[in-house]
Amino acid sequence: MTSTVKLPERHSIGQSMKRKEDPRFIRGKGRYLDDIVLPHMLYLALVHSPYPHARITKINKDPAMAVPGVKAVITGEDLVAAKLGWLPTFHGFDSQMVLAIGKALYQYQEVAGVIATSREAAADGAELVEVDYEPLDPVVDPYQAKLDKIILRDDREAKTNHIYHWEVGEREKTDAAIAKSDVKIKQRILSPRCHPAPLEPCGCVSDMNTATGRLTVYMTSQAPHVHRTAFSLVTGIPEDKIHVISPDVGGGFGNKVPVYPGYVVATVASVILGVPVKWVESRTENLTTTGFARDYHMDVEIGATKAGKVTGLKVTTTADHGAFDAAADPRKYPAGLFGIVTGSYDFPTAFAEVDAYFTNKAPGGIAYRCSFRVTEAAYAIERAMDILAQKLGVDPIQLRRQNFVKKEQFPYASPLGFVYDSGDYEATTKKALELIGYDALRKEQAEKRKRGELMGIGVSTFTEIVGAGPGKHFDILGIKMFDSAEIRIHPTGSGIVRAGTRHQGQGHETTWAQIVAEELGLDPQELLVEEGDTDTAPYGLGTYASRSTPVAGGALALAARKIRDKARKIAAHMLEASEDDVEWKDYKFSLKGVPGKSVTMKEVAFAAYTNPAPDTEPGLEATYYYDPPNLTFPNGTYIAVVDVDKDTGVVKVRRFLAVDDCGVVINPMIVEGQIHGGLTEGFAIAFMQEIKYDEGGNNLNTDFTEYLIPTALETPHWETGNTVTPSPHHPIGAKGVGESPNVGSPQAFVNAVIDALSPYGVTHIDMPLTREKVWNAMQGAKAKA
Amino acid sequence: MNLEWNGQERISAPKAKVWAFINDPAKIASCLPDLQSFDVKDAHNVDAIVKVALGPVRGSFKFAISLVPGADGNHMDLKISGGGFGSVVNLLAGADLTENTDGTTTLDWKGTASVSGQVATIGGRVLDAQSHRVISTTFENVKNAVSQAA
Repeated sequence: MTSTVKLPERHSIGQSMKRKEDPRFIRGKGRYLDDIVLPHMLYLALVHSPYPHARITKINKDPAMAVPGVKAVITGEDLVAAKLGWLPTFHGFDSQMVLAIGKALYQYQEVAGVIATSREAAADGAELVEVDYEPLDPVVDPYQAKLDKIILRDDREAKTNHIYHWEVGEREKTDAAIAKSDVKIKQRILSPRCHPAPLEPCGCVSDMNTATGRLTVYMTSQAPHVHRTAFSLVTGIPEDKIHVISPDVGGGFGNKVPVYPGYVVATVASVILGVPVKWVESRTENLTTTGFARDYHMDVEIGATKAGKVTGLKVTTTADHGAFDAAADPRKYPAGLFGIVTGSYDFPTAFAEVDAYFTNKAPGGIAYRCSFRVTEAAYAIERAMDILAQKLGVDPIQLRRQNFVKKEQFPYASPLGFVYDSGDYEATTKKALELIGYDALRKEQAEKRKRGELMGIGVSTFTEIVGAGPGKHFDILGIKMFDSAEIRIHPTGSGIVRAGTRHQGQGHETTWAQIVAEELGLDPQELLVEEGDTDTAPYGLGTYASRSTPVAGGALALAARKIRDKARKIAAHMLEASEDDVEWKDYKFSLKGVPGKSVTMKEVAFAAYTNPAPDTEPGLEATYYYDPPNLTFPNGTYIAVVDVDKDTGVVKVRRFLAVDDCGVVINPMIVEGQIHGGLTEGFAIAFMQEIKYDEGGNNLNTDFTEYLIPTALETPHWETGNTVTPSPHHPIGAKGVGESPNVGSPQAFVNAVIDALSPYGVTHIDMPLTREKVWNAMQGAKAKA
Repeated sequence: MNLEWNGQERISAPKAKVWAFINDPAKIASCLPDLQSFDVKDAHNVDAIVKVALGPVRGSFKFAISLVPGADGNHMDLKISGGGFGSVVNLLAGADLTENTDGTTTLDWKGTASVSGQVATIGGRVLDAQSHRVISTTFENVKNAVSQAA
């Protein structure tokens, strides 16, 4: 990757340091949840409802209890008796059954738990639990749910499937602006239900020590502290008696943020039986019951002048939330950060509304590398801008450039209420166009069209919104979304760095060391980073929504600066000078105006324990809780080049370029790795991934034969580049990048395919763009012609 | 997931013989393909354990089979419900008998099934063909068994 902005030579930030965590991962020495085996440990298997909607009239545990090794069977009624029948969703507005009580509300919903001495015995027992169901008609489509003919939730006072209405912006003004525009487009755009499907599914080992009364929960958690608090709130166990440890996590993508029934049942079982209980999901359980993503049906309208200047944007959304409102959005934002839907464009007015509904499907909704609905928003606006370009008959890049928020407009107040921190969309786009040779590609395309060949070029010039967030706006269960860092420098100048985040492959053990090393002039190799243990790490809100670098990254830099402030006092003592005469320059403390008279941080660290300055505490450590003043707004320009086979509908992605601007880059190699991973997910979402239900509520994508993960064989070659526009408010100017490639790429692929099919008059196809859909779109267009 | 099929068998036996055969729960159960065991409950009911292999779903399913004969001696309803592996299968098969002038009997059958759970999801791609095979083989076995006995 290359940078357009020349940065000063840095000590540690900006270096492509190899990942410190990789030696253990690539040698099979990582320690994941399922590696944890404790003495006397039992195993939990869950019983799932085969019906999407059914009354439960009777559960007979006896045949399961008769299986050798089975120790207990737990049902929803048992949990109700223990006052643990329901648990609050992170959203805070709804509660969710732990095990089905009275009614099963989606296929594969957990109905009972069987605890046994081996995994096999637990599975055998689960197979024999007899559940009598009275099937009910399911509601699978949110537009059907809207009609309230079948009400899913008996437990709620309001007899409706409608969950909430949320809106932002100016409805009347936007309607009027679009109505009087020269050119209007309107399109229903579906961001289909998909699933993050991390390589490692979810699981836990709950270990209640009956002697100490202390509960230790090892769990696949992206947010261990929040989980500790949630466990305490749900069970009534004092928080000091709960210890959550998130060991190495094999991918999360938002799937490991919520609290799932398996965690609760394993914990209840451990409390009752007084021994550790392990629960590890199967792939099918992961795909059918845990946090899905998207399922937003968006009606997008744009008005524009004949010359292509946008005049207004209106988005009306029907959201399918499944059986519970379990999307972990902040309370103040039930539709998350969907207000970013104006994207990179300067709309004079805009309006967005979301109505969410219950359906007989698994709950969830904001996972898959997505900062609270930003992916749906970016997809909607980038798809719609292409439809507008098609209608105006202009190049989609030209239309975008014409409407970009200009560099000089930052900080930019969007019509939907966000203040974008910084950006230079024109610079990022210019760089992308040059790198890919856009003009030459358009020429090639024109020639191919003459020959009847279908080549497409798709662009996405997206703006992200990440780094939740300012505590005044964002919370989980009421806990403000700050994050934290604790740094302890040892006498010999190495140290330990702890944060409230929990990486799942993002490389924090390396990048956190780089940030601290940069601030303190220490060797990043000698800074051990530790996360995921609530007994040792400072309280934090965890890793998701691209928030680690924007929030914990800020905490790390500011904690390090606290250390530097104290170190200056010690350095002054060592240099026998007043503190005012000591400056931090070239990564060491120097006496102003006296060349050569300096001490390094390592020397200061030793002095902090052996020769502390008078009136200062011995030792060298600091903690910082950082509540960011704003979100960060990374952007990117992505370009896809595809060839479509006329006869089969097969799409070949010939080239894909991602130029990202995520502010200051801490480790270019890690950023590039993040982008490669996210692009591969975006590619999968665009072409192959969807969780579909048949009309009877059967989930049709329950394993990897039906829910596809691209392998090296299908994955295109990724080209990358970057520009750097630092975040003005972030302590090191970083914006976060984890989600950008997933948020930014699906629409580039789709736009490229639609561009290829534009000679047929095709304007939109909903993802995933399977060869069948692409072929059918061509046939439909031929039939119409 | 709802499925529907139909078919016809020509059986070399008079109608009364076929009627007697399909009224016998033990005989009907023994015509199920991949049958592992059965247990006759009464004159109209039998429980059967059948080996099932639908794509990656493999194992034994337990079915309760009820015979509901029509009063006219021409029509028989077979209700088959059960499942396994977190799946539920409800199958309703109707058989109509017509005596032919050559002493044979024509058996027209029609089957509908509703399926929930793993069988519907994992076995989705092969379910239709496999279920059709199960039901058509059952009636084919009825034909062979009655014809042999005749």
